[in-house]
Amino acid sequence: MSTFALDKVATTFPRALLDRYLDRSGAEWGIVDAEAIRNVASELKDNPELDFKLFLSIDAVDRLMLPEREPRFEVVYFLYSLKRGEHVRLKCRVPEDNPELPSISPVYQGANWFERFVWDFYGIRFRGHPDLRRILMYEEFRGHPLRKDYPLRQRQPLVPERPIQDIFRGPGTNRP
Amino acid sequence: MAKPSIPSQGPADAQLIPADSELEAHLPTKRMELNLGPSHPAMHGTVRMRVELDGETIARADPEIGFLHRGFQKSCENVTWTQCLPYTDRLNYVSALMNNFGFLNAVEKLIGLEIPDRAKFIRTIGSEIHRISDHLTCVGAIGLELGGMSAFLYCIEARELLVDRVTELTGARLTTTFGRVGGLNRDLPAGWLESVLKTLEKVEALTAEVETLLTNNRIFVDRMKGTGLITAQDALDFGFTGPCLRACGINYDVRKTKPYWIYDRINFDVPIARNGDNFDRYLMRIEEIKQSSRIVHQAIELIKPGPVIVDDWRISLPPKPEVYGTIEGVMAHFKLIMEGIQVPAGEIYDSTEAANGELGWYLVSDGSGRPYKVHVRAPGFAILSGISRMVEGRLLGDLIPTFDTINMIGGEVEQ
Amino acid sequence: MSEKDGKGALEGQGKPVPGAPTNAPGSTGVEPPPPGPQKAPPKNPGFVTCTIDGKEVAARPGTNMIEAALRAGSDIPYYCYHPRLSIAANCRMCLVEVSSSPKLVPACQTPLSEGLAVKTNTGAVKDSQRSVLEFILLNHPVDCAICDQAGECKLQDYYARYDFMPARAGGPKILKEKRKVLGPMVVLDQERCILCTRCVRFMSEVAKEPQLGMFGRGSAERIDIFPGAELDSNYSGNTVDICPVGALLNRDFRFRARAWFLSEAPSICTGCSRGCNIFVDFFGQETHRYRPRENEQVNKSWMCDQGRLSYKYVNKERVHTPQLGRGSDAREATGAEALAFAARKLKAFFQRPELAVLASPVASNEDLLACLAFARDALGAKAVYVGGRPEGQADELLMTADKNPNRTGLTWIAGGLGLKLQPFSNLLEGLKNGSLQAVYAIGAELPVDIASTTDALKKADLLVVQATNHGPLTALADALLPACTHVEGEGSFANVDRIIQRFRPAYPPIGESQPHWAWASHLFRELGLTDAYGSARDVFRKLAVEVKELSNFDWDKAAPPAQPVPGLQPAPAGADGRPPGYREWGTPRVRGT
Repeated sequence: MSTFALDKVATTFPRALLDRYLDRSGAEWGIVDAEAIRNVASELKDNPELDFKLFLSIDAVDRLMLPEREPRFEVVYFLYSLKRGEHVRLKCRVPEDNPELPSISPVYQGANWFERFVWDFYGIRFRGHPDLRRILMYEEFRGHPLRKDYPLRQRQPLVPERPIQDIFRGPGTNRP
Repeated sequence: MAKPSIPSQGPADAQLIPADSELEAHLPTKRMELNLGPSHPAMHGTVRMRVELDGETIARADPEIGFLHRGFQKSCENVTWTQCLPYTDRLNYVSALMNNFGFLNAVEKLIGLEIPDRAKFIRTIGSEIHRISDHLTCVGAIGLELGGMSAFLYCIEARELLVDRVTELTGARLTTTFGRVGGLNRDLPAGWLESVLKTLEKVEALTAEVETLLTNNRIFVDRMKGTGLITAQDALDFGFTGPCLRACGINYDVRKTKPYWIYDRINFDVPIARNGDNFDRYLMRIEEIKQSSRIVHQAIELIKPGPVIVDDWRISLPPKPEVYGTIEGVMAHFKLIMEGIQVPAGEIYDSTEAANGELGWYLVSDGSGRPYKVHVRAPGFAILSGISRMVEGRLLGDLIPTFDTINMIGGEVEQ
Repeated sequence: MSEKDGKGALEGQGKPVPGAPTNAPGSTGVEPPPPGPQKAPPKNPGFVTCTIDGKEVAARPGTNMIEAALRAGSDIPYYCYHPRLSIAANCRMCLVEVSSSPKLVPACQTPLSEGLAVKTNTGAVKDSQRSVLEFILLNHPVDCAICDQAGECKLQDYYARYDFMPARAGGPKILKEKRKVLGPMVVLDQERCILCTRCVRFMSEVAKEPQLGMFGRGSAERIDIFPGAELDSNYSGNTVDICPVGALLNRDFRFRARAWFLSEAPSICTGCSRGCNIFVDFFGQETHRYRPRENEQVNKSWMCDQGRLSYKYVNKERVHTPQLGRGSDAREATGAEALAFAARKLKAFFQRPELAVLASPVASNEDLLACLAFARDALGAKAVYVGGRPEGQADELLMTADKNPNRTGLTWIAGGLGLKLQPFSNLLEGLKNGSLQAVYAIGAELPVDIASTTDALKKADLLVVQATNHGPLTALADALLPACTHVEGEGSFANVDRIIQRFRPAYPPIGESQPHWAWASHLFRELGLTDAYGSARDVFRKLAVEVKELSNFDWDKAAPPAQPVPGLQPAPAGADGRPPGYREWGTPRVRGT
């Protein structure tokens, strides 16, 4: 599908593209070195031949229960080029002991929330992200729920109420 | 009738009247932080907007989501593929059929399965009916929140007629869980297609009425035109897809670029607008209702009788007489229900065009009957992330129509 | 001519004609034919190299083709083949294509030869697998809904993989005997039987008691016991394990739980001192059955019936909460209260010879290490009395007479910690004549008759008991601390052959019970000492150095793998070990707590 895009990436950043393979429906996947992902994303976006301007999605997979489980996390990126009518699918593998990789939110603004999602649910940090905090879970949540070693029925400790300066809670509750 | 008495302005009140210079003086204001809290009629599906106001101008708008997070991905990882279907209903609960069929489409691609033709037609008809439903809800909500309750009533009446059709088809109004891997679980009820045609007539008539109420309405146009602007560049960057992206002038529709089901066999147009403001997004939805109706008419003409699900007992359940009567039937039934459909190990990213944009599915299978990972790329998530860009620097009164026209459905944004 | 001596007169007159009889001494009269064209030497000397589905496999001579295929990653289905039984080749499921024969050959019976090319996924093989399965299913009753084996049935698994076609032949199925009770453990359903004869071969070859047989011919063939006889062998339960379908079923487990709700944990049987490796099948916090686990050294793939039934004590009559007070004063207390009481009373007996420590060899090594270390350091005890379950029968195969899993461990640990082992009768003597007044018991199993002990025990001033089940000793205890069994904790046992084996916990301890070593840790703390153990691993690491035989044991490595085997995944269990939905056992959870 997007062989050309990955060819270009392979020639521009020869060390970044570690592997390419086809999945069962014939779509091509590229495995990108985690540190190089921002450069690769820039190239994909800014190069007028590639023009992958539509940002689609970022997500992560925890490979703990798969036969191939090292490195543990895989961050997947989906981008689309309107000019070429092609998707490109990239993967970055991140180990468990240091789950960090550069953020691509300077390149695509939409990546902001998706990377926050990955941080919230997998605990993977994105360096250079302007505001890396939990997005769907509350701040006091402990753990990263979509990890495979997080039990389905894990209970969380009760957290005290946040001291929010609320508007008005009724007569007699006026707080400074 | 007593006239209200004006208090006398005697010498004793002289100090109370401010001097002219004071009247002209700049009021020392401070930024007010307003909380459009999660429980708010206009915040569809519990979204909290922390809005910092400088007078009436929005200095900062910070959406906070997560109040409707129900653990979709984690739940899906612990049940079989078919049991994921009810979870997918509840993502975009206004157009549940599109979620169901989108998910099934992705699973079938992962297995490498081709579904029967009639199933494709019925899936298209169902999707388009729910697209009309979704757009009607959006347009109605726009009207409602700008003060025009009648538009809302007409749209909801139209939607109720469609919901009746969907209930006849699937058994449920909202959470349909229709379709199975390999096709559909049930065929159409007798006479359903004719009643759909009649319903669409009524729906189109109601839509025309809503248009007369809103499209040339001075107040409506004033509030919607030029507000909630976003440039095409920014829209692409944030990941806008669907009507919101096409309102900025970008021609991207998954049904045209990567046709699936029967979209390559029928004629329909994809409306594109120019300005990327709220009015354009509203017009997009009206136009798309008309186009969807056109698609349904053509599909009903072309549909032919046939099987609705593949005849392979590794994928679809055997018929009940066989389940109760033969050992093969009961074993196949048992294995499919208890272990789930054995989807070969692999991954796939597939997308369909939902009402709000590209509904992407990234599925990872480990070879067993349960998904390893089900990632839904909700179109509303990306669009909601761009809302601060759309309203910052504008007036507070523009926040509500913007929020309406992007049609953020809480269920899909927060999974 | 004279080089060859002792030969016949014809010798030396020409080369011997091949095949013609000669009179050479030691010859049978016929010479073997001359060797043919020389075979190429084997590719890997000492191994047999063959190709399975294109992959080269070098196997030791004598390896069965099915095993070799498994290692090469090719699946060959089979019913009658079992690696530990003789080859019958009567199910015909394992037919494969080989280069040495135009017909399909059974993989279990065909020996691997040098250079053989085996194909297990061609059209002919797939067709054969499907047809064989169709034939087997022709007369199979529609029983899945009521058959225990559903969820672990090879017929279902292979049907889903190799034949997913609807039935072609309708009509009535052959009726045979259903629900025939064969013995105390096993019930037979002849209609479900696929006549693989695994059970017959097992009983005659492994258990050496040929109580099952195949009777009849053709469609009327059935497995049965001899008239007037019973399947009462102590190993009859294994026939239930090896039966691939639901023909032979465990009477004790029948209709108790569905297989897909059961989770499994690798553990050790505590029925006798053999320490057979088992899987504990549990649901929520209840153990439903034991199944044998493979261990070449200890129990191969078998276990005895008595061990199979020995899971019952884990569920029944367990001590859930600590108790204080003897007899009619008995009341439930909190852990803190009971500990405070026990510690206070035991402190009074510090280093006095009137204190007796009673250890049961049912407790694990870690339990005994921590508790006996407590006894030695905090209580100043010098000797330990050995309790445990009374002796029973032994048999020639697996079951030993000693019904305690860890007597070896207790002996080692007592020796290593410097405590002298004393028999239980001495304890009773001492109590009777008053020289012993207090007993600290680790485990309440008593090896002698109840009636004789109760009087002696009543005389004791203080009985602090850590017990798993209620019994005569716990009825008399002044302080009763609930302990958890091997199913709820981690640890190791040392069996009769001096092999140390690890076991893993299945579910968290029920009620308020804790492992013995945890109670010892709490008691240490109550007495003001600083020894504390956070886990069984901690206990072993800190204390096993003192015991010579345990010091070389790699505690972590020896643990059986915790990752579940692939197959039907049981209902997922939450962090508290309870599966979702279905039926919640016990008191409902109050919201918010």
